[in-house]
Order: sequence, then C-alpha cells, then structure tokens
Amino acid sequence: MTFTIALAGNPNVGKSTLFNALTGSRQHVGNWPGKTVEKKEGYLRTGDEDILIVDLPGTYSLTAYSIEEIIARDFIIHEQPTAVVAVVDASNLERNLYLVAQIIELEVPVIVALNMTDIATNRGLTIDADELSERLGGIPVVETVGNRHIGVDALTRAIKQTLAQPPLPALRATYEGPLRTELDRLEAVVAESDAIPSGYNPYWVASKLLENDEGLTTKLQESGASELVQAAAEARARIEEATGEDPELIIANQRYQFIHQILDTVVVRPQSAVVTMSDKIDRIATHRIWGVPIFLLMMWLVFQFTANVSAPFLDWVDVFMNETVYGWGLELTAALGLGGTWLQALVTDGIIAGVGGVLVFVPVLLFLYFALALLEDSGYMARAAFVMDRVMRVMGLHGKSFLPMIVGFGCTVPAVYATRTLENERDRKLTGFLATFMSCGARLPVYVVFGAAFFGVASGNLIFAMYLLGIGVALLTGLVLKNTVYRGTPPTPFVMELPPYRVPRPRDVWRQMWERTEGFLVKAGTVILAVSVVMWLLLATPSSAQAGTFNDVPAEQSVFGVLSGAVAPVFEPAGFGSWEASGSLLTGILAKEVVVGTMNQLFVDQSAASPDAVEEPDTSFGEELGASLLGFGEAALLTVQEVMNIVPRTINLIPVVDIGEISFFPAEAEEENTTNLQTALRASFEDSAGSVAAGALAAVAFNVFVLLYVPCMAALAAMRQEFGWGWMWAQVGYTFAIAWLAAVLVFQGGLLLGFGG
Amino acid sequence: MAATLQDVLSAFDGTTDARSLSQIAQDLSLEPARLQGMLDYWVRKGKLREVSFSGGDCGGCGLKSDCPFVTRMPRTYERVHSDDLPPAGCGANCGCR
Repeated sequence: MTFTIALAGNPNVGKSTLFNALTGSRQHVGNWPGKTVEKKEGYLRTGDEDILIVDLPGTYSLTAYSIEEIIARDFIIHEQPTAVVAVVDASNLERNLYLVAQIIELEVPVIVALNMTDIATNRGLTIDADELSERLGGIPVVETVGNRHIGVDALTRAIKQTLAQPPLPALRATYEGPLRTELDRLEAVVAESDAIPSGYNPYWVASKLLENDEGLTTKLQESGASELVQAAAEARARIEEATGEDPELIIANQRYQFIHQILDTVVVRPQSAVVTMSDKIDRIATHRIWGVPIFLLMMWLVFQFTANVSAPFLDWVDVFMNETVYGWGLELTAALGLGGTWLQALVTDGIIAGVGGVLVFVPVLLFLYFALALLEDSGYMARAAFVMDRVMRVMGLHGKSFLPMIVGFGCTVPAVYATRTLENERDRKLTGFLATFMSCGARLPVYVVFGAAFFGVASGNLIFAMYLLGIGVALLTGLVLKNTVYRGTPPTPFVMELPPYRVPRPRDVWRQMWERTEGFLVKAGTVILAVSVVMWLLLATPSSAQAGTFNDVPAEQSVFGVLSGAVAPVFEPAGFGSWEASGSLLTGILAKEVVVGTMNQLFVDQSAASPDAVEEPDTSFGEELGASLLGFGEAALLTVQEVMNIVPRTINLIPVVDIGEISFFPAEAEEENTTNLQTALRASFEDSAGSVAAGALAAVAFNVFVLLYVPCMAALAAMRQEFGWGWMWAQVGYTFAIAWLAAVLVFQGGLLLGFGG
Repeated sequence: MAATLQDVLSAFDGTTDARSLSQIAQDLSLEPARLQGMLDYWVRKGKLREVSFSGGDCGGCGLKSDCPFVTRMPRTYERVHSDDLPPAGCGANCGCR
C-alpha cells in the first residue's frame, strides 16, 4: 500500500522548504492536470516504506475563489491522502489557522507543522504546542524550522504514527445557534442521499452548502443531487430569518471566533513591562533628540567605509577594465582581421569603455550594500525609518511616505510604485514626487568618481552630503507643497513594528549584498550596453560632411558632440559648461549610471579611437593575467589596510588628534591611486571652471545637478503610469529647474564665498 | 464581543481612500495579526482589494519580495466598487477576483 501525504498551507510559510527537507532530491516537478500551477511530488523514505509527499499550492482558504484553492481542496477530497500536513507560520498563527480549521472540517487526518518557530521566538511570541494540539481536537502539532532542518525528524515520526493510527474524531465544536441546528439537519439529509459523489463527507458538504459554495453546488446539480441544493437553500433561508444575517458570514465569523478563542490560550505575547536589551538600546537609538544625529552618524560611517574600503578594488577594476580588457579587445579584434575598422572601435571604445566604465563601480556597490545589509540585519534600519517618520511628521508629511522614499535610495522606479500602499491619491502623488530626490544607487558611481578625483580620502563626505541634500530638498519641497497645493491634510502616525536587535547573519548579509549588486550587473549587460552602443554611433557619426567621415571624426564635431555643445552654455553659470559634461547629463536621462559610462567614453578613450592607437602588445596574455592577479592581491591587502584604518581615520577627524594609520606599502607607492577617468575629469573641470579650486566647486555643482535633475526614463515611465502625463511633465520641469538653481547656487555662491581660489 | 467581519468591512464606510491594516486594527481595537485573516476573507469575497507592493517592479534586484524594505511596506486595502467588478461572463472561479 502506498501512503500519500499532502502538504497544505498559506503561501510563504516555508512549505516548499519543508517539502525539500522531507523528500531530499527524490522529487518530480510538473503541472497539475490541465492547469498551469506547478505540482511537486517526492518520496519520503521511512524504514521500508516510501511515502508519497504532494506539495499542494499555497492557499489561504479552501473555498473555490482561486485555481489554487480548487486544486488543493479537490486533491484532498478526491485523492484522499492518508493525511494532510498543514504547514503554518508560527509567527503569524492567526492568519494560518483559518485554513487549518477548514482542513479539519474535511475530516481527514491532519498534522500541524508549526513552522518558523525561530521567527516567532525572535518576536517574543511563546506558543504552547501541546495546548494547540488539545484545542484542535488532539491532532499532532510539531514545531519545525524547515530552513534549518529543525523538527523534520519529529515531523517524520508524527507522519509515521498517523499512518499507523486510525483517524481522530473530527472537530465539530466550532458552530452554534441556528447555524448548528441547520448544519446537523442538513448533514443528516446529505448522509442519506445517494447522489453525493464519492469522497465527499456529509458534514463538509452540509457546511459548504450553507456557505453557498458555487463550485460544490454546480457539482451536486451535475450529479443529480438537486434536492440537496434545494434543501440547503431552504436551510439558509431559515438561518437568515432567525438571525437576520447571511449564513456564509455567520460561518466565517464563528470560524474566526473559534480561532481567536484558541489563540487566547495558546499564544503568549511579550509583556510590554519587560524591558529587553533592544528596549535599552532603543532608548538611545530612537531618542527624540539623539535619534536623528545617530542616524546621520550611521549613514556618514557607511559612506566613509564604502568610499575608503572600496577604493583599492575600484582602482584595480579600473585598470583591469580600461587597460587589460581594453587591450585584449584590441588584440582580439585585430586577430580577427578587424584592426583599424569601425567594428574594432565599436567593441573597444563603445562597449568596453561604456560598460566597463560602469562595471568599475561594482566594488563600491558591494561594499555599500554590505554596510547597509549589516545595518538592516542588525535591526537598525527599522529604527532609521522610525526616527525619520518623526522628522517627516514635524515637517507636516505623512510618516508612511518614508518607506517608499527609503526604497528610492535603491531605485526610483519601485519607489514610485511603492506609493500605491499609501492611503489617498494626494499622498501617493506627493510621495512619488519627493521620492525622486532620494539619491538612487545609479547616481552613486558619479559621486564616487568625482569624490575620488577631487577630494581623495574625504570622498565619503561628498557622498554623504549628496544623500543628505536629497533628503533635505525632498523635505523642503514636501513642506512647501503641504502648505500650498495640499493644504489641510493632517499627517497620521505611522505604526511600525520594531524587530529586536540581533547579530547580523552572514548568509543573509551576503544574500542582500549580492542580489542587489546582481541587479546592477544585469542593468550593465542590458540598458547600459545598449546606450553605450548608441552613444558610440553618435560619436562616430560626423555632424556634417566637412567634419569628417564615419569613425574618423573629432568627437566634438560628431553628432553627439554638436548636440552636447548646443546644450553646454546652459550649464556655464554652474561651472561645468563643457560639451563633455553636458553630453553626460543628456545620456544620464536614459539611466543615471550612464553618466559615468559616457564620461569614460568621452574623456578616456578618445585618443584610442584612432586606428593609429593599435599597438603591438609588449606583454603576453599570461603575463597580463598574472599582473592582474597580482594587482588583485594588492587591492585585497589595501582593503584590509583601509578597514584597519577606519577607526584611527575617524578619530583623526577630531581637531588636534593625530593617530598613526597603518600602511602596508611605502607612501610613494600609494600616491598614484587615481584612475584615468578621474585625472581627465579633474583637468576638464578645472579648465571649464577657470582654476583648480573652482574646478572642485564645479564638480560639487555637477554632483548636485546629477542628484536633483530629471529622473531616468524608467522612473518617468513609472510616474506617467501611476500619476499621468501632466504630473510627469511637472516633475520634469520642477526637477530640472531646482537642479539648475541649486548647481548655480553652489558654484556662484562658492565663488562669492572665496572657495573658488 | 470581538470585532466581526461586518465590523471590518464597515471600517471602509464613508471613505473612498485605502486604509492600512494598522489603522483599521487601531480603530477596531484588534491585533493586526488577527485582523489580517478577516481582511483576507473580504479580499476573497471580492469586497476589498489589497493595494500591495511586492517588489516586482524592483528591476534587476534579486531580493524583490524578500527585500527588508519591501516587507515593511504597510499592508493597505481599499473597497472594491461596483464599477470595477470583473468583466461580464467572468465566473467566481476564474481567479481574477
């Protein structure tokens, strides 16, 4: 005899993880017959027996409202598994027990797998599994943590015991009053009927008919049991007459009442009187006065860490991409007989320079996401949202707006869509408008390259200042709009659960940093690649017949150069009126990462665009690879050095304090650590601004413009979809105007204050 | 007497705005976790709609719905009005509700 166990449960309760833990690699994945819903089957070996485990689709209920619900309930009724393992999320028992109550009503043997008990414990919940078992009529309840394989053996034992024992009597104590009377009466009628299809138990059929279940009613009418449908209609009418309420609603209400009664005795919630370590930390971290400065300090540390620790790897990747890979590109295309052709230029100056110029920043993102993941996994980030919620309410904004805005630090597109979770259209529009000022991850490479070029080890300060400026402009804009366009809507408090602090888990930290960085890599291989190719074409195409021929034209006289040059005067008051800077800003509207990619194409590789630039390699492939690996090792050592220097360097910021910093290499060897792009940038900005000091000022103004100006095309498309064309164009106009004004203010104001030398 | 399903639906009376789980829980003096299941009921019945953000629009970022920020987004619901019911001929079991 083959035993079958069905795994049922709500979505996202760890059902599949438990399925994998029970069956190992002995699985088969297919589709449910005639459906596109995935069906997973596997075997659990216990002693001499193979037990078939079937993973049912995740559902919240066993009504017939979705295809998943129909599949799950039809399987239990028609296939009659030996038992059903109801997997429930212990941290969200209230929501999960509704399905368990419905499975129990089907009168099949049930085992409850109380999964994710670790999360419940972390939240301070205590669940009495024995009491739960008793309240559910004696069915086995097994505590499990599927992803850590905890409780899987106990669950296997419970399954074996259930197979050996006769099923327990069904739990029927959930209904009362006129409903109970009619349910009993209808059950008796159903039990006597010959027209009931096999597999249906009378109690469940009676309760479903009282719920007016469309699927079952149709099925009974097709099988000739119309008299039952009629009897049920009469029973429903009697209940409605006696109570004045829809029987379906009474059943659901009584089911919830039953669940709430169970929870009252089974779940013990944390007493607010108990002061935990987290509470003690929160007295400082979320303090009314200190909370915000602590948040700002944390962010400053994150950017200092990111800028300094990633610098050695940034230099290494830059050399690797712009010299080694660029050289390989030249050699490979030359070997294919393409030397000196436009195809060679496309590969090297278009694709490698454009995409490579952006890939250089992967180490920066990895370290940034590492630092953010540490803050997130430790539980601090939730405090940051809590602290900023208070600030936003002081400014007259809804605290709930801050979560979409935090998402905006990653990418503006999901931030705009995340505004859907806000209550009314005015809040949604306002938050979407402000979220574009949150500095998205795509702008970070711009700050990093300018920070390193103009401010060296203090580049973290520039990055920090840009993030802070974004928040400041958003808050001020919000304040203005709240007092003009959106006057009279009071902010509502934002209820947010603060998880307890904990030591970050390496696996979670790694997953967060890698999966976020992976998104950047995907974009580099798609959007940025496409833009780089188009950019190269525009650079290779002469603006007129006199300017040159295809792939043999001075960049300034190419289509791109002339277009950018036409826009450049607009930015002269801000100190960056060169056609290269304007051109980068134009392409940045497509995607902000492209600003750096374009700069790499314009500043670094113009000389290499000429066919004359192809040189015979002096070194072999193996030697170049060896040198790259050696460079990687040096970068790793320098990274360790930078990590060790974080504390002394931070302390050294205090005036009169001077603690020695660790150095693994001689000072002169460390001096030459700027990339080709950074050197070219410095020269260009100093030239367009008029002096070395004014060049730095123009660089800051350029960064301010990049932070505040028109969001990328994808973000604009999201805004149009969510808020309409009018709102989108208003955003374009406002962001351009405020970005230009702020950039001019920074440059001209800086000159007036004497920062321009 | 604990809040009933009718009380939960009544929380949306007189407003066309969406309402968050925490707000309704506060109004009904109910724990959010207990309210969640009751809101699920009305969503299944097609009377309410969850206005969710699941991280599906997060571009290439692999975290999507597992993103800590996405999971902290407030759960928000709005009343389904007769003019945005499923198209004619759409059965109860089609799953579009």
